[in-house]
Amino acid sequence: MMPGRILAGLFAVTPFGLLLATNQQPKKVDYTHDVYPILSAHCSKCHFGDQKLAGLLLDSRAEILRGRVVIPGKSASSALLVRILGQGGMPRMPMGFAPLSDSDISTIRTWIDQGCIESTSGNHKHWAYVKPIRPKLPKVSNTQWVRNPIDAFVLSRLDQLKLKPSPAADRTTLIRRLCLDLTGLPPSPAEVDAFVADSRPDAYDRLVDRLFASPHYGERMALPWLDAARYADSNGFQQDGDTFQYVWRDWVVKALNDNMPFDQFTVEQLAGDLLPTKDVPENVVRNRQVATAFNRNHMLNGEGGAIPEEQRNVGLFDRVDTTSTTWLGLTMTCARCHDHKYDPLSQKDYYSLMAFFNNVPESGVPSDVNGPYYIAKPWVYAGTDEEMANFKALEGSVTEANRNVQKDEQSPELPGLQAQWEATTLKALDDTKTAQQLKVPVNIAAALKVPSGKRDVANAKVVRDYFLENGLTGSFKETRTKWHDLEKQLAEARNRLPKVMVMSDAQPRQTHIYSRGNYEAPLADVAASTPASLPSMPTNAPKNRLGLARWIISPENPLTARVQVNRYWQQFFGKGLVKTPENFGVQSEAPVNPELLDWLAVEFRESGWNVKRLQRLIVTSSTYRQSSKVSPTMVKMDPDNRYLARGARFRLPSMVIRDAALAASGLINLKVGGKPVYPYQPKAIWDGLNITDERDFSYPQSNGADLYRRSIYTFWRRTVKPGDMFDSSSRQVCTVRPSQTSTPLHALTTLNDVAWVEAGRALAEKVMRESKANSKGRLIDAFRRVCARTPSVKELAILQRALTQSISAFQSDPASATAYLRQGDSKRDAKLDPIEEAGYASVCLAILNLDEALTRE
Amino acid sequence: MNPFFERDLRISRRQFFGKAASGIGVLALGGLLSQDGFASSLQGLAHQRHGTPPLPGLPHFAPKAKRVIVLWQGGAPSQVDLFDHKPGLAAHRLEELPESVRAGTRLSTMTASQGKYPILPAIKPFRQYGNSGTWMSELLPHIGSVADDICLVRTMNTDAVNHAPGVTFFLTGSQIPGRPSMGAWASYGLGSMTDELPSFIVMTSSDEKKTCGQLFFDYYWGSGFIPSKFQGVQFRSDGDPVLYLTNPPGMSADLRRKVLNDIAELDHQRLSEYGDPEIETRITQYELAFKMQTSVPELTDISKEPKSVLDMYGPDVLKKGTYAHNCLLARRLIERGVRFVQLMHSGWDQHSNLDTQLALQCRDTDQPSAALVKDLKQRGLLDDTIVLWCGEFGRTVFVQGDINRRDGHGRDHFGKCYSLWVAGGGFKGGKVHGETDDFSYKVVKDPVGVHDMQATILHQLGIDHERLTYRYQGRDFRLTDVSGQVVRPIIS
Repeated sequence: MMPGRILAGLFAVTPFGLLLATNQQPKKVDYTHDVYPILSAHCSKCHFGDQKLAGLLLDSRAEILRGRVVIPGKSASSALLVRILGQGGMPRMPMGFAPLSDSDISTIRTWIDQGCIESTSGNHKHWAYVKPIRPKLPKVSNTQWVRNPIDAFVLSRLDQLKLKPSPAADRTTLIRRLCLDLTGLPPSPAEVDAFVADSRPDAYDRLVDRLFASPHYGERMALPWLDAARYADSNGFQQDGDTFQYVWRDWVVKALNDNMPFDQFTVEQLAGDLLPTKDVPENVVRNRQVATAFNRNHMLNGEGGAIPEEQRNVGLFDRVDTTSTTWLGLTMTCARCHDHKYDPLSQKDYYSLMAFFNNVPESGVPSDVNGPYYIAKPWVYAGTDEEMANFKALEGSVTEANRNVQKDEQSPELPGLQAQWEATTLKALDDTKTAQQLKVPVNIAAALKVPSGKRDVANAKVVRDYFLENGLTGSFKETRTKWHDLEKQLAEARNRLPKVMVMSDAQPRQTHIYSRGNYEAPLADVAASTPASLPSMPTNAPKNRLGLARWIISPENPLTARVQVNRYWQQFFGKGLVKTPENFGVQSEAPVNPELLDWLAVEFRESGWNVKRLQRLIVTSSTYRQSSKVSPTMVKMDPDNRYLARGARFRLPSMVIRDAALAASGLINLKVGGKPVYPYQPKAIWDGLNITDERDFSYPQSNGADLYRRSIYTFWRRTVKPGDMFDSSSRQVCTVRPSQTSTPLHALTTLNDVAWVEAGRALAEKVMRESKANSKGRLIDAFRRVCARTPSVKELAILQRALTQSISAFQSDPASATAYLRQGDSKRDAKLDPIEEAGYASVCLAILNLDEALTRE
Repeated sequence: MNPFFERDLRISRRQFFGKAASGIGVLALGGLLSQDGFASSLQGLAHQRHGTPPLPGLPHFAPKAKRVIVLWQGGAPSQVDLFDHKPGLAAHRLEELPESVRAGTRLSTMTASQGKYPILPAIKPFRQYGNSGTWMSELLPHIGSVADDICLVRTMNTDAVNHAPGVTFFLTGSQIPGRPSMGAWASYGLGSMTDELPSFIVMTSSDEKKTCGQLFFDYYWGSGFIPSKFQGVQFRSDGDPVLYLTNPPGMSADLRRKVLNDIAELDHQRLSEYGDPEIETRITQYELAFKMQTSVPELTDISKEPKSVLDMYGPDVLKKGTYAHNCLLARRLIERGVRFVQLMHSGWDQHSNLDTQLALQCRDTDQPSAALVKDLKQRGLLDDTIVLWCGEFGRTVFVQGDINRRDGHGRDHFGKCYSLWVAGGGFKGGKVHGETDDFSYKVVKDPVGVHDMQATILHQLGIDHERLTYRYQGRDFRLTDVSGQVVRPIIS
């Protein structure tokens, strides 16, 4: 039976709007929080700010009253409502644009009928600009359901709407949900069995603990952060040179695995280079520098003719936009050219914020080129601790070896040896035969012929240098050779070491406001400062990135904690409590459950920004554990599941889909961290980049185990993203909202890409080898490895029919079976019958393509 | 939806699958699983719907055009040599460009510090074409032959001085990557006209020797912050035309069809238990993927094109990946209901090889571009198809490099005035728009900015460029940002 059936019956004839209206205590609607966002979205083109069509302004309650378009308490005779309804024989407003939605109209109607309240909270500021305070826990209808405060807030909202939460999902669904959410990997059948059989009262918590402790937790959690940080392994644009920013990616994964508090995570990435270094171990200092790569991950244009200063400013803009979107949910970009139209952000605020990032000793274009790598100063060597220790030791050895060489050169024996060598060499030079073998350069030979006492200084030096390199013998020669060898080793080591682009304030610059964002049209000077409308930085705080970072995580900042918990929520529920994670400003969508958002934000901050603790609260809540089954009535009432009367169900990100397929098939290589790898990509994927002879852009496909690393480690070329990573962010600009679309091209990818075809084949081999000999057992096993649950009798019948069908198709054309099994580099098990295996492989690929396989339920 | 009605439908679905499994009705499956879920799937069998509808309220007014083909001339063709006829320059050959003309113009770093700016008149003569008598280079005889069908705009101008920002600006409305491209906007606003092909398709080509060095980045056809299903799909000349289009080796079309039926049947099981409409969407997309596997190879197979048509496009047409081949495919795409086709050709960045490359580029692109216009016209498709031929900017009237070396000189980037042409879709044929100064250096009359051109193209598609918006970061973004005016004189 459908879980929503009872509800469906209850509300079968009740439209959603009526539900709201029958609420016993109707919510007070006010201008600041409810009406202003609607009017600014729909009316601002003609009736806001300097746009005053028909003399009417709608951008404040006072103006609306002055314009006499509302009569408080009487919506039916208020011109505002009449016009947006298109009544009274006048054109419907907004003229020429889509009419307001019913719910927006009803909000305005209620606002007028309730007497045009300015603000219910006594605060006239937009909610997100007011520091959150921990709301009291609401009273709810069913305290049994409340496992933690999250549930109280969710249930209270459902109570208001007279909705009931869904029952908890079954254990099999829950373990798959938790595994995919927390590690991005599906559970094995054994893990499912163990969890289902675990009768201990804390079985769920134990599972959650295990997953939080997994080294793969950080990999999963890093994905949205890499999107926000527009992380890639190349610069973008014409040369699209490779970079070493993967060291930063590993820093992120480790920080998340270590549960680094979010405030430290913030400070190190924004200003790790500015933290005190006294008595701090060298590797810690280095890691903090690496963390600041966050603001060097932007695109870098090395196109011939690119104007460095222009490109440098493009990078600066990107830092401002990315930092303010990621941490503050502010749309600063608007203020680049003019004061923000909706939010209290001035153009001066924009450039004052930019001033924090404007002291980097950089040119704006790549400065150091080595092979495929094009990087821009400043950068640091950033190998592993071991590599760095070895490198340091090697540097020491070179210094030591050089000292020995210099000692040798001072040796009293040396002049005699040189005289001897000169005599022998001169003699040999006289004979044409031996002279040819000696290969003494012409200029040296000439200099040698001048008696040693009569050579000028330059020639004497040339001869001596040549002797030192070529004429030494015995221990003198050994010392010198050793020095050269070590120097060569050092150069190679230097070449090998990753060089990570990082932040630095070594080049202070004066920042200006730019007229309409044009760097060639500077206006007034500005100093580094945070937006004036937000709480200011403490007066004693340094006016640099460190001060900025500390301001961002200060308890006074109204945005940071909310923005962050909203994105965690989005990760676990598909959508944030605020649907616009990139914008918390006036034009954002108001949260459906503002108390919950504020409670989470305060809890997060007061817990010492403990990320795992907060996420643990979320995933252990009853809200999270609900079944995601839904009745048609509920789909209609709450299509986006904003009120959370059911669990979230959404398609997995493509990176996770690939990882899950690799994991189910057993092909996956779970190595954590390191250089990016090059899994299968379509033929000639990068060939379009081969525009000059400067560089070969043939795709350097990896071999063996590297083909099966997790998708986070796939080399991300900024100009051509991996062909099979559909719906992923382009990693060109900051992205904090995942794209969730469904197109035929996605289906073609998971049906035909060799990665999935090979995974299907490997899964087939696995179940043929490991499961019971009958097809039923094998198909169940394959299905469970992908979907965790056991297929129903009906589903199993379909799978068995599919298997028979596939086997008979391959039987009728045995060559096709061989061809099908040849996909992918992994070696197939030759002991298996190819026809039968191809049949299973085809069914396994179908299982990997089920909606359920692609979805987190 | 009425739950009872829905259950009835599901029963009919189950019965249907019984048939599909036994091999009957495979073709009808697509109809049953058509786009909008239950309601339309009932109608589906009766009259199949094609494509997806436009946004509510769109088009804003009766459109003149339904489709667009962009013939992108990457690298920036020289307006001085091809379109902007300045006979007076010949008398000033290699004289210094007057400071009064040059002052205050932003140049790229390649010539900003050159110090000398000798004038180089058009390297080949101009002549008049068509009844309209349009002046164009004799290097463009074929485009000349359709002079009466094209509208030549000589007063384009752009802020960009380098390629990537210039292309990004023209195709997305902003110099900085991240905005939706014109094709994405059109698909988003107007919907698609076919189920069997993506509504926005991109193909690339390059001059044979790759002298140009221009790359085409995917954000030139990206969807920016609007849903990624609106981004352009690249048709490739090497391997599968669409990534992952072909079944894996050994997987026959027949077996794949059966496998897809199995997947759909299992997904329906899940749908009946979970009720999530997303499952319905997924089933539809898998069905469309199958359709695309047949329609794309049919589309790219030009073996049935008559010789007369192939001849029109010139000898390169038979070679995959060439501009000529892509032009022919563009027509085939348009015929099959694709909304927006963007050909990205690279070859015009003639800094140092104007003398050696200009003629070659004209040879490669002149005939196919003209053939496309003629071909569309003779099929009655030109009336409602816009063909836009343009690059990211123009080139300087003065020499870059050493005039004494044949392969050592050319012209630098120049955005203050350059030329493009548009045909079809209600643009006025035989029209020349705008006036530039004697040096092709400044616009004298009727300037046309990039946003103006975009506004005009959208206008012809029935879109008010100020009203096709997408809310992101709290702001209603549009292709033309905060400017753009429809250029009335060039449209009918």
